Amino acid sequence: MALLEGRRLSKRFGGVQALTEVDFAVEAGAIVGLIGPNGAGKTTLFNIVAGALPPGEGQVVFDGWPITGKPAFRICRRGIARTFQVTRPFGEMTCLENVAVAIVNRRPDLGRAAWGPMAMEYLEAVGLGALAETAAKHLNVIQKKRLEIARALATEPKLLMLDEVLGGLNTQEIQEAVGFIRDLRDTRGLTVFWIEHVMGAIMQAAEKVIVLDQGRVLMVGTPKAVVADERVISAYLGT
Amino acid sequence: MVKAIDNRWWLAAAVAGFAALPWGLGIYHQHVLIVSLFYVMMTASWNLLAGYTGQVSFGHAAFAGIGAYASGILATKVGLNPWLGVGAGTLAAAVFGFLLGVLCLKMGGIYLSLTTLGFSEILHIIINNEYEITRGTMGLQVPGLIAEYSKLAYFYIFLAGAIITLAVVHRLIHANIGLNFRAVQNDERAAAALGVDVVRVRVLAFTVSSALAGMAGALYGHYLLLITPQIPSLDQQFLVLSMTVIGGLGSFAGPVIGAFGLEILSEYIRAYGEYHVLAFGLVALIVARFAPRGLVGVWKQFMDRRRPAA
Amino acid sequence: MLALSLTNGLVIGIVYALTALGVSLVVGIMNVVNFAHGEFYILAGYFSYLFAHTLGIHPLAAMVIAVGLVFLLGLVVEYTLIRPTYGDDMYSLILTFILSIVFQSLFLLVFGPYPNKPPSWIKGATEVFGLFHYGNQRLAALAAGVVVIALFFAMLKLTWFGRMIRAAAQDREMAELNGINTTRLNLLSFGLGCALAAAAGVILAPVFPVTPTAGTPVALTAFVCVVLGGMGSMSGCVLGGLVLGVVENLGAAYVSTGYKHVFMFLILILVLLFRPAGLFGRREV
Repeated sequence: MALLEGRRLSKRFGGVQALTEVDFAVEAGAIVGLIGPNGAGKTTLFNIVAGALPPGEGQVVFDGWPITGKPAFRICRRGIARTFQVTRPFGEMTCLENVAVAIVNRRPDLGRAAWGPMAMEYLEAVGLGALAETAAKHLNVIQKKRLEIARALATEPKLLMLDEVLGGLNTQEIQEAVGFIRDLRDTRGLTVFWIEHVMGAIMQAAEKVIVLDQGRVLMVGTPKAVVADERVISAYLGT
Repeated sequence: MVKAIDNRWWLAAAVAGFAALPWGLGIYHQHVLIVSLFYVMMTASWNLLAGYTGQVSFGHAAFAGIGAYASGILATKVGLNPWLGVGAGTLAAAVFGFLLGVLCLKMGGIYLSLTTLGFSEILHIIINNEYEITRGTMGLQVPGLIAEYSKLAYFYIFLAGAIITLAVVHRLIHANIGLNFRAVQNDERAAAALGVDVVRVRVLAFTVSSALAGMAGALYGHYLLLITPQIPSLDQQFLVLSMTVIGGLGSFAGPVIGAFGLEILSEYIRAYGEYHVLAFGLVALIVARFAPRGLVGVWKQFMDRRRPAA
Repeated sequence: MLALSLTNGLVIGIVYALTALGVSLVVGIMNVVNFAHGEFYILAGYFSYLFAHTLGIHPLAAMVIAVGLVFLLGLVVEYTLIRPTYGDDMYSLILTFILSIVFQSLFLLVFGPYPNKPPSWIKGATEVFGLFHYGNQRLAALAAGVVVIALFFAMLKLTWFGRMIRAAAQDREMAELNGINTTRLNLLSFGLGCALAAAAGVILAPVFPVTPTAGTPVALTAFVCVVLGGMGSMSGCVLGGLVLGVVENLGAAYVSTGYKHVFMFLILILVLLFRPAGLFGRREV
């Protein structure tokens, strides 16, 4: 059953048609990749699902609820967490406080004594435990991406939307990250919707891949089928 | 834990020392202290909004005016007890703050600045036009808070007011809502994505801040015994803003330091009359431009630089 | 009475529109609201008074010099105060607010609290449509306002600079990617914004003399025009200015003179309640 479904989503920016009648589904418990060349509309799609952008036309249904055009914080509380491609840490706050923001809006009853250890667990899960008291603005790009994931996890989502979290990692680190994300799905029962440029990672982790090109769905299929497809290859080569 | 207790003792000692201060002073200096405490209430509550949530209200003096006039008019027309009047003034400011906040905060911070500036102008027009009720620029004579006028008693009333204000601010910024305040100030889109109801957080901060200004204004009116449009004036707003910026926006101690520093300084340079607003303006401009975290920020930077060397 | 109020509204409305264009330009391009906008208007009024009245320069030349000087001052303010705050909206609000108070106290020291009025360009009155006699100076102000607004829009549509402005107002990042020097664009736009306020100031000062604190209501009116027209929309704020001018004068004529400026606030509240993106505003993307 689809946990997240988009029906005929369209969006215009001024004179540019960013998305045209996009239909897609993300099945519960799956890792679904979203790929496509630059400017294909991947992040726009994420922004509409997460409520960061008002939709043009079409509908988004999550877990049986229509969430089209709902404010971002309500969508988050419904169970969708997202990371930002260009990271958006709360720079003047410590890493621990960054994660705490996500916790206290889900559990307003918790005091510092309770959320402190919880936030620490999330930080340790992404390997930032040692930097808990560091102001987020002092992190490097890779650490900031990890912080994004820790914050997203701390909202206890059903669906985790990742927007290019592997940029800047070497091959071995990518392997570890893929393992980490598969582990999230397997142990926490998370569903993952994942934009990524590192194709190898998507090929390894995803059960299903959606390919966007110029704001339209080019094809949907297994990673194997997608990489073999002529249209996908030519879209990427830009011919 | 030991350190926290230490801090508490220091704080108690400082407050006790300060509370004993007016006994050794003449009436004029007691007056300066009372006015300083009024400004502490104003700056601390404005800082709650500007320093911790990043929204600039230009109507803070106007809300003090709402508090003062609400309490003053109730006392003169209905004969309400001034203490209850202070409560009513606080409430009135809270209600106006809430309504204005709901009206414009869903559109973002800039709208709050525009709307509060407009609100402050309109309030002025209304006060001047409704002469029958407000006595316009002549000022509205109001009763005092205590039967026998005594600077010393007012000093303690204002000290209590300032402590209440600072306690409310302290509690809020150290509670979970304080995390939300700072998250909204740092990055409202990221905050919304993590489940923060940005509009609600902003409206809450604005309402509390306005209510505290209303309380300060109501107390001030009953101290001066004459409420004039000077209380809700833009000059007053400017003074509160300058004190906070010079002391240190977004720090707990900054507004207190700024309020005392500038009020005492302005008593010294009162002789130069017209130049004093200009001088404060220039200083505030330079501080805001080169040391956006004010004196407290400069001090912190200085300490940070010394630490590795020591 | 009605025709007279409408004409008054039109004259004032055109000048409001001119002032608001400056705000709209700066908001659209830099996302900065200049709270000292009204003080630039007042300063230009004082300059034209100073040059024309005290130094005896021809009124028209005095006006041009006044606008030019304010433009230069705008450049200086952008360079020294606004540029370092870029990206921090809150600090530009705080800085320009302090700047407005500094200007007001300077005006008070230099020119005193009393109204100052540059000489009129022309004397006498004309009978309008056979309905009423109307001061020639006001008619001239109306004409001058229309001319400056027309010139501004021609500049936007026809010149290279205008194209850059429109591109940056549409999408800043895109403009940057396409090689537009946004730092210089900011500088010029801010100067131009101040110059528009100055133009409004020199046009209206012979009718409504300037005082040190008169800048605040001027700026507020401009802000309401901009909100009314939709933040960042140039044509929207011209319409907003006209609407505001007419409503204010009708309100003053038929309801209450003392509450003239309150109508403006009521309009602001209504817009925020029902059309928060402005009457003619483009929707946020």
